[in-house]
Amino acid sequence: MRKNLVARLGVRTKRYALVIDSRKCINCKACVVACKAENDVPLGRFRNRINEETRGEFPKLLASFEPEQCHHCASASCVRVCPTGASWQRGDGLVLVDTDDCIGCGYCIIACPYNARFFNEETRVVDKCTMCVHRVDAGQPPACVETCPTKVRVFGDLEAPDGRLRELLSTRRYVVKSPQTGNDPHIFYLL
Amino acid sequence: MDEIRWGLLIVSYLFLGGMSAGLYFVSALATYLQDGGQPAYPRIARVGAMLAPWPVAIGSFLLIFDLGKWYRFYKLFLHFEWHSPMSIGSWLLVGFTLLSLAYFWAWLPAGVIDSVVSRLPKRLRVLGIVAWPGREGLRRPLAMAGFPLAVGVGIYTGVLLGAVQARPFWNTNLVAQMFLFSALSTGCAALILALSLHRDDLEAREARLLYSIDIVLILLELFIVIPYIVHGALSPLAVRQALALILGGPYTFAFWVLFLTLGLLVPLALELYEMKPVLLERASLHPNRVLAGATAALIIIGGFVLRYVFVYAGQVSSFQ
Amino acid sequence: MEPVMSKAITRRTFMNGAATAAAAAALAPQLGCARFLRSKPAAAVETREVATACEVCPNKCAVMAVVEGGRIRKLNPNPASPKSRGMLCARGNAAVKAVYDPDRVKQPLIRAGARGEGKWRTATWDEAWDFAAKHLTEIKEKHGPEAVIWSSTEGFQEEFFKNLGLAYGSPNILRHPTLCLASVNLAYSMTFGTVPSFDLLNADYVIMSGANRFESIITPDTMDLIDSTMNRKARLVYLDPRFTVTASKADEWYPIRPGTDMAFILAMLNVIIGEERYDKEFVASACHGFEELRAHVQRFTPEWAAGETEIPAANIRRIAHEFADAAPRALYYAGRRSSWYSNDFQMRRAQAILNAIVGNWDREGGVVPNSKIALGEYLYLPWDEPTAARIDEMEERFPLAAKGDGVFLQARENVLAGKPYPVKGWMVYKQDPMSALPDRGRTQKMLEQMDFVAVIDTQMSDTAWFADVVFPESTYLERTDPLHMLPGIWPVVAIRQQVVPPIHDTKPNLEIVQGLAKRLELSDYFDYTIEQWLEEQAKELPIPNALEHLKRTGVYTAPGAPFYGSTRKPDHRFLTRSGKIELFSERLAEAGHDPLPAYTPPVQPPPGAFRLILGRKATHTHANSTNNVWLAEFAPSNDLWLNPLAADRLGVASGDLVEVRSDVGVVRLKARVTEEIRPDCVFMLHGFGKKSRTMRLAYDNGACDADVLVTAMDAVSGNAAFHETFVRVAKVGEAAGA
Ligand SMILES: Nc1nc2c(c(=O)[nH]1)N[C@H]1C(S)=C(S)[C@@H](COP(=O)(O)OP(=O)(O)OC[C@H]3O[C@@H](n4cnc5c(=O)[nH]c(N)nc54)[C@H](O)[C@@H]3O)O[C@H]1N2
Ligand SMILES: Nc1nc2c(c(=O)[nH]1)N[C@H]1C(S)=C(S)[C@@H](COP(=O)(O)OP(=O)(O)OC[C@H]3O[C@@H](n4cnc5c(=O)[nH]c(N)nc54)[C@H](O)[C@@H]3O)O[C@H]1N2
Ligand code: SF4
Ligand code: SF4
Ligand code: SF4
Ligand code: SF4
Ligand code: SF4
Ligand SMILES: [Mo]
Repeated sequence: MRKNLVARLGVRTKRYALVIDSRKCINCKACVVACKAENDVPLGRFRNRINEETRGEFPKLLASFEPEQCHHCASASCVRVCPTGASWQRGDGLVLVDTDDCIGCGYCIIACPYNARFFNEETRVVDKCTMCVHRVDAGQPPACVETCPTKVRVFGDLEAPDGRLRELLSTRRYVVKSPQTGNDPHIFYLL
Repeated sequence: MDEIRWGLLIVSYLFLGGMSAGLYFVSALATYLQDGGQPAYPRIARVGAMLAPWPVAIGSFLLIFDLGKWYRFYKLFLHFEWHSPMSIGSWLLVGFTLLSLAYFWAWLPAGVIDSVVSRLPKRLRVLGIVAWPGREGLRRPLAMAGFPLAVGVGIYTGVLLGAVQARPFWNTNLVAQMFLFSALSTGCAALILALSLHRDDLEAREARLLYSIDIVLILLELFIVIPYIVHGALSPLAVRQALALILGGPYTFAFWVLFLTLGLLVPLALELYEMKPVLLERASLHPNRVLAGATAALIIIGGFVLRYVFVYAGQVSSFQ
Repeated sequence: MEPVMSKAITRRTFMNGAATAAAAAALAPQLGCARFLRSKPAAAVETREVATACEVCPNKCAVMAVVEGGRIRKLNPNPASPKSRGMLCARGNAAVKAVYDPDRVKQPLIRAGARGEGKWRTATWDEAWDFAAKHLTEIKEKHGPEAVIWSSTEGFQEEFFKNLGLAYGSPNILRHPTLCLASVNLAYSMTFGTVPSFDLLNADYVIMSGANRFESIITPDTMDLIDSTMNRKARLVYLDPRFTVTASKADEWYPIRPGTDMAFILAMLNVIIGEERYDKEFVASACHGFEELRAHVQRFTPEWAAGETEIPAANIRRIAHEFADAAPRALYYAGRRSSWYSNDFQMRRAQAILNAIVGNWDREGGVVPNSKIALGEYLYLPWDEPTAARIDEMEERFPLAAKGDGVFLQARENVLAGKPYPVKGWMVYKQDPMSALPDRGRTQKMLEQMDFVAVIDTQMSDTAWFADVVFPESTYLERTDPLHMLPGIWPVVAIRQQVVPPIHDTKPNLEIVQGLAKRLELSDYFDYTIEQWLEEQAKELPIPNALEHLKRTGVYTAPGAPFYGSTRKPDHRFLTRSGKIELFSERLAEAGHDPLPAYTPPVQPPPGAFRLILGRKATHTHANSTNNVWLAEFAPSNDLWLNPLAADRLGVASGDLVEVRSDVGVVRLKARVTEEIRPDCVFMLHGFGKKSRTMRLAYDNGACDADVLVTAMDAVSGNAAFHETFVRVAKVGEAAGA
């Protein structure tokens, strides 16, 4: 999305974020394909993924599936390192890349502690989850959120007083991933 | 990150940028050191000045070539992002490159300019003014101005990596120093190599200066490598895991054998051996051209390997 | 589900990088099309949304297709359907790629070389129809209309194809149930007189044997089960020889010894009846044959079952208690693919009986008869019923099985034996018997002995590869289908309407059928358009402008919330002989089968051999999605699951090439050593190792399970029994770069 001063500096009335209930994830990859379709993500590349882990020995086994994508960090290291200002953050918290300004140096890819970014060989610039900003701005949920059979992700506005996010975060226990990165990530994983 | 994003082009760029900084630094030092109103080591100063601009220029091209969209590199200079080491570094690099070109010009022998200009078509002969004799007077000021910029470039190549919190392998303030001293050392080695290949012999006093500088730099490097490892091993898990990459991971051989042993310890030993007469017998040294060249080559290779190991291992390291 | 050591930095980065590169290389042939698909439309292109229904698996989820400048841009879920709610799975999302797959069959093809050689000439539709009609007429004249088999898998347009077969005069309509769910359907029908749904959303206690609901997606069951288990409302007990995703979410998972589920159920019956924990009132009023059942299960103690199933007796007893206590909000889930063992019908009947005696019938959270919505019918001219007997001799061999569906494997065996009469033609619609039947070698023989084979498909399936003529059907996004009613606790009517016009020279099945009918002089029976058909169907719906409503919103749902208990009134007659729920079945006895589920221990693999078991993965549908680039990213090939105990014995490591040999065939594929399977079983994913070179991503990639599966059938329903195959595994090559 084209960088936009108004959106960047605009009074902060919203703070978009995701709450993820990994226990409900069945690793079906619907979110991954939906993202691919919605955002023309090239083959072999992904804006979101399911981190899989299986442990134990037969028959005492455990498997967990954890969806992950850009955390739209409040203190985004990708934005900090970008030499051209192409990586930017909107007032509502969404971290975006202005593909017209991106020179494809890859610094932000390396600087993201969540491995959320990749180099798009087709556009020759950096690519990542935009939280489907084009859908969100049109009042639709992000593609991955919408398509999920078990509704693992909840998308919403942290500032909305009666919003689902506030409700979930005040009634359920949650963690953020690797808080020691100092990035203040904004995906909240329910426990 | 699914892959190594920064590859050999970036490794080469960091290496070449550092080498230019080192060349400039040593040459400037040689310009600065006076012996009766005259530069004490004119050959070192001149050869350094002649060589300094080119590695960084080539490196910058490699950097641009590595961009996803190389023709957008100009956008780097439409912005100044104070929080981005790459943005600061880009401006620094431009400043340093321009300065090193000026310095190059100031040291360019008039004879060379004349013979080039005399071959030009008549209309272009006005270019003869670049041989302006007053430029000699600029050498020292340029040298002085160059110290901070050269040191800046040398540090920057390390800060570029060290400023990335996401990569625990890099994210220590030792990386910048490490890269700086290594940069100066490779520059110094490049001079040793150049002079040992020169048709005139490497003079004893020149060798003595260069070896002394280099021994100090290598010792400094060692004083950083050791705390880097000791500190890292006592750090939070992510850093320890990152360290495992060189302590028993894919980069162990490159780090311990190619960089530390062949790139630091062996050259250090060779240099000390060469300096033995000076250090122990207070005699003058007799530089061995072959040994000097080999030492310098090892340091240069070691410097390259250092960047290689850091750039690659750092990208592999992560918090998760 | 490869175990991921997320902590090991080195491994993760290197493996991921390598895997991505390998995947990209494997997908290279498709890249051209990928770019084509992505070429961005100019700034202000027309965007519209079309409501339709997914076709990629039997769930028929509601879709809102977004069309941009004439291209399908994205398929969004349509939340209006209570069956699929707001979901589309990975396969449904990837359906766009099937439309723009460069490997599609783009115009009619007539075989030019030997069968299976892969030489084709493109033909006009008229040529293809003439060619097929000539052969069909010849066969009819020479051998009678019964000499042509018409086989198909469920779908909105299947009826037209089936009708053409019947109008042509063949009794040999072969549908997919005996490869899939015939035994479970028959077992519940024989018990309750109907096939019910399972109210997973409201159940408190769920036992699932082998129905891998979190990978074999069934709507709304998959979503309901997550809701009830993850909100800690329902307890889930799961039996499966594999550690599936469902197993990972279950409260208790038992890697049951394959083929012994019935022992587990009988022991539960033993406990619940022995301890008088069943619903006495319901059993007395609604069930038939309880005393026989009581006597029958007396000897099946949990201690006995523990020996069969390897599930501790104490656990069986506890589960039985908990199940009975939770009833009626407790259910033993039936499963869908019941093509497992040769006594599958009896195992499923034991489940049905267990459900019956705890009184969960037609109760919230229990086993609920399906509600339906009546659709109108287009009245076409009737044809004369075919006179010949069926090739599969159902009447004698499987008298209780569903007549209209046939028994697929029996049909194949009889065709190969040439009895009771020769079959010389095979018409195939939306089905890939080369992949879907066990023992591919025999299916190929069956194809090869035909005088004529025609396939209507969207892709060059393995069956199409051996055909004489291939009629390319337009994909579901390029055609309009009849309305379809999906029965259930919350029934819906779905519409599948054209999203974009066909991008190649393809036609919807109805037009293909009509073209053939015309040349076979059967046009009178197919004298309608799809629009007329839809109008007649929609007429019965109790809302004005029903068709318009459907076209706009995608679904019609009955008003109000689901209701329970309409069949629990005292005067309710179940559609069984006794009018009651038949715990004991005289009809079974008359047909020569056990009237109560009798246990026969499964034959065990000989020493050193393994049982090959099958199952789904969430990102593939059967054998038909392995050429989809977007899905191939998750399962680019298949491998053989092998428990480390077995692998150590065989000296096999993950990535090694192994040879898998059964009595009927041998395949090679890579091994995947994993804790996620019992040591006496192996597993491989379906749909790989294709013979069709047109399917570039799947051709000769991995192994085809059908090559090694042996032919076996359930005794009562004739359902294929896929899990009766024993294989030997041997290492033939080292893992590359291990
Ligand atoms: N080894 C093994 N065999 C099995 C199973 C197994 O798990 N393993 N599962 C069994 C089960 S449960 C089932 S239901 C069956 C399924 O068996 P099939 O019905 O044969 O299943 P599919 O692989 O879906 O093949 C359907 C064919 O229809 C084509 N097709 C898809 N869409 C359309 C369309 O719109 N129009 C037309 N004309 N063709 C279309 C596809 O290209 C494919 O060639 O397989 C059974 N056989
Ligand atoms: N993603 C996806 N979903 C689908 C389909 C698809 O192709 N892909 N197809 C649809 C169709 S047509 C069908 S029929 C259904 C099938 O869906 P399911 O009924 O769930 O069938 P499967 O996944 O074939 O097999 C279920 C499990 O049975 C286990 N099993 C094998 N032997 C035994 C045994 O002796 N005892 C027990 N307890 N378990 C055993 C296997 O390990 C496997 O995990 O899925 C539907 N949904
Ligand atoms: S769609 Fe939902 S359930 Fe499926 S993998 Fe993604 S997050 Fe998990
Ligand atoms: S997750 Fe990475 S890409 Fe996303 S905002 Fe944070 S640092 Fe930037
Ligand atoms: S790749 Fe683009 S967005 Fe990322 S740091 Fe470089 S210029 Fe900024
Ligand atoms: S929010 Fe949109 S861009 Fe981000 S992962 Fe989900 S689908 Fe992809
Ligand atoms: S479950 Fe998936 S493939 Fe099946 S109909 Fe629904 S979206 Fe389509
Ligand atoms: Mo099925």
